[in-house]
Amino acid sequence: MRPSLRTLAGLALAGFLVLPLLPLVAWSVARGWRFPALMPDQVSAQAWTFALSSQAGVLASFATTTLIATATTLLALLVGLPAGRALGLYRFRGRGLVLLLLLAPALLPGIAVVFGLHGILLRLGLAGTMPGVILAHLIPVLPYMTLVMTAVFARFDPAFEQQARSLGATPLQTFRSVTLPAIMPGLMIACLFAFLVSWSQYLLTLAVGAGRVQTLPLLLFSFASAGRNDITAAIALLYILPGLLILAVTARRITGRGAALTERLHP
Amino acid sequence: MTDRTRLVLLLAPALLVLGGLFLTGLGLTLLRSFRYVPALGMTEPDLSAYTAILTAPGFLKSLVLSLWIASVSTLIAAVLALATALLLRQTFPGRAVISFLVQLNLTIPHIVGAIGILYLLSQSGSFARLAHAAGLIATPAEFPVLTQDPYAIGIILLYVWKELPFITLILLANMQTLGEDHESVARSLGATRWQAVRHVLLPLLMPALLAASALVFAFAFGAYEVPLVLGAHAPKVLPVLAWQASTDSDLTTRPEAMAMAVVIALIGFALLALYARLVGKDSPRAP
Amino acid sequence: MLRSLATLLLLSTAALADTADGEALKAMSWDQIVDKARGGTVNWFMWGGSDTINAYVSGYVADRLRADYGITLNRVPITDAADIVNQVLSEKEAGVTDAGSVDLIWINGENFRSMKQADLAFCGYTDLLPNDALVNWDNPAIANDFGVPVDGCEVPWNTVQFAFAHDSAVVTDPPRDIASLLDWIKANPGRFTYPAPPDFTGSAFLRHVLIHAAGGPDSLLGPFDQATFDTTAAKTWAILNEIEPFLWREGATYPTTVTQLNELFANGEVDFSFNYDPAQFGLAVQAGTWPETTRSFGLTDGTIGNTNYTLIPFNSPNKAAAMVVQNLLLSGEAQLEKAKPEVWGAAPAIEVARTGPEVQDGLAAIKTHPSVVPAADLAKAALPELQADWLTAIEKGWAENVGN
Repeated sequence: MRPSLRTLAGLALAGFLVLPLLPLVAWSVARGWRFPALMPDQVSAQAWTFALSSQAGVLASFATTTLIATATTLLALLVGLPAGRALGLYRFRGRGLVLLLLLAPALLPGIAVVFGLHGILLRLGLAGTMPGVILAHLIPVLPYMTLVMTAVFARFDPAFEQQARSLGATPLQTFRSVTLPAIMPGLMIACLFAFLVSWSQYLLTLAVGAGRVQTLPLLLFSFASAGRNDITAAIALLYILPGLLILAVTARRITGRGAALTERLHP
Repeated sequence: MTDRTRLVLLLAPALLVLGGLFLTGLGLTLLRSFRYVPALGMTEPDLSAYTAILTAPGFLKSLVLSLWIASVSTLIAAVLALATALLLRQTFPGRAVISFLVQLNLTIPHIVGAIGILYLLSQSGSFARLAHAAGLIATPAEFPVLTQDPYAIGIILLYVWKELPFITLILLANMQTLGEDHESVARSLGATRWQAVRHVLLPLLMPALLAASALVFAFAFGAYEVPLVLGAHAPKVLPVLAWQASTDSDLTTRPEAMAMAVVIALIGFALLALYARLVGKDSPRAP
Repeated sequence: MLRSLATLLLLSTAALADTADGEALKAMSWDQIVDKARGGTVNWFMWGGSDTINAYVSGYVADRLRADYGITLNRVPITDAADIVNQVLSEKEAGVTDAGSVDLIWINGENFRSMKQADLAFCGYTDLLPNDALVNWDNPAIANDFGVPVDGCEVPWNTVQFAFAHDSAVVTDPPRDIASLLDWIKANPGRFTYPAPPDFTGSAFLRHVLIHAAGGPDSLLGPFDQATFDTTAAKTWAILNEIEPFLWREGATYPTTVTQLNELFANGEVDFSFNYDPAQFGLAVQAGTWPETTRSFGLTDGTIGNTNYTLIPFNSPNKAAAMVVQNLLLSGEAQLEKAKPEVWGAAPAIEVARTGPEVQDGLAAIKTHPSVVPAADLAKAALPELQADWLTAIEKGWAENVGN
């Protein structure tokens, strides 16, 4: 293909990727935008004013969603990092099975587990609470965390750690000055995906949060199902903001997820 | 500490979370689908919930719709993603921007995309207004039905929009790992550029493409919020039908909701087995 | 078999209803209850789709609760009250009898029936609320919620009556009864539709057609009767199938929610929308969603009216505070505030004559939004609500015979 043709194909692709976001931008400042008007009759800040007011609950919801996604990521890291180390560094009987089990929540639809999960959390007194929602989010998040960390540790040479230890470093010192720097790039990718997977959860939060835990997607749907396109659009744009910010910081590293997920199960 | 103990300690937290929440959750759903709830004195499991859903015409229609949506959107997304990956492998002006957009798309939650597609494609949406301005249609009714439609076109478009970048990125990562060597060899042996891609690169990429497609299929099959925004009144996709049955004011439909969840889980497990076979085979490994 | 499962579920859990806490409250004076309520938090689950209603609750109501009683009101926006009924039921199944997550629900109709049937409601306390005296419990439309006796299990909040909206710039002379509406639909293909049941509003539209098919509401009142239903329903399905080819998208698809119908109306895809709460028309015009020329009307053969309520679940841990909220909502001042068209425009659920002069004057001075048909005009031709069992049968029958 000639470069000009490539650019043309690229433009078409770019258009396709950006198009669904454009009406959101227009709607968020529209007032009275009905067929067949191409552009809003009146530009108004009313949707944004409402969305950013304390009464609307959007900002509180934003904080809740951020808190849940951050806590889920940290928890997943605590659980997934050791598992990734075990799976990446060691070969043992049943390894394939463990990998499959860890992968299962990424392939099994949330609706399959949500009813039973709600029952468990209810009995633990965690339904309708933020810790309950964080635990629930851990299920779809853990596969991404573990598999990326497995891939990271598969490329990691534990001999460096042994050297550090033989030179008198404590396990903590070894981890901080040898292990951590080596796994840092992969760890950042894993955290990014953990955050985004939790950030986008709808059904699990709806079922387990019992309405008490109002994350942004729930609030967004509440306004979308009430036909307030202007407010819906404003919330939708607020909702994609953190993803954009994270991407701007880590843009080049994102492809790591692909490598990790398609990593064959027996290295 | 022996390696064995260390292994157990390292794996224990993850297995505990998955066993305690994921597997127990599945198990509880399974028990309730057999109408086995000892706490309520129901100790004689039976299959009547399954009989009920399998004989209801709505369930099979929903199953077919869900499979249709998942298959078509996965197929289209996979083909387009392959083309996109091959495109992005080459240099051309504007490539950096496209790469950024592909990555950006990955961070956008599905529900936001679904609402965007709705505002874009509904019969009074942006495209319909453009068509009106161009004099192609006079009323919204003349614009093609693309949302809340019987063929789920809007839903499929959303999944293609959202999953094309996902598969593309996986393919690009794999291509990076593969390097140019295999193709160079083929080219030096006299293969054309296209032959090299067709006979050398594609077979090498196939496992990754299939594995990524399995993930996409699983998501498109099991998603709830997208069809809620873009779907028609009937038939409903399976997850929506199951959720609706679980919140029905009629208590008797609850075991049916559980049974539907189990059917969905079984299809998920079939995919998992397929996935395991695909990535378990000789796929090239990251260095 | 499934029926007996339901019965078993109900029987096995019935004994758990009414926590000790609730019984203790019933033995107290109102002042003691208010004392217990101070500093409490109330999680109020309510439909969250209207920014103006949300603003009334999170603003006016929450502010007064905080200032007067130190109560924190946590408005929990939901899309469907049925989800919350299910949630309380799950809690009951799991043995959560005094630490439920829901303190108050905005509810009526089938969801109330479900809650009452499964003993999920806190009952028999409403006469403790001082403002209960403002409620006319002798009015059967208030003492019964879709034919189910309220029995002190919920407190009325608003009264509503079904009305149709049209754009007076497009349809100058809309049909005024069901028969002429059906004719209008056939004469104007593609310009009318209704939301598919179980959508609340779509289901209400069906009942108007059913009452029309029955030649009036009389034979349909009272408990569900299979024989009457079969004859009337057959006629109703025939009517609906006859107009189906003349509906929007030739009836191949129906909107799933009243919101979708509103959207179609806003963009001129159909010529009518309708709602239980005509105040919504005014709010849509104020929000810029609907044209200024929107007008609304009732039917000469009557439209269905009903009351919506607030309810405290049996396992609410904050019953006292929830009761204080209910009492405040019933007060003349709070009812006057929400009757203002710029706030909400909702008709009061209390007897206006029993309120003080300030409230009466305030209500008399209210000018209804021009797009909203005045409640008094609608009330001239009102139809009673059918009992909840009829609704279930109609919705099921529609899915099998019309919307398949």
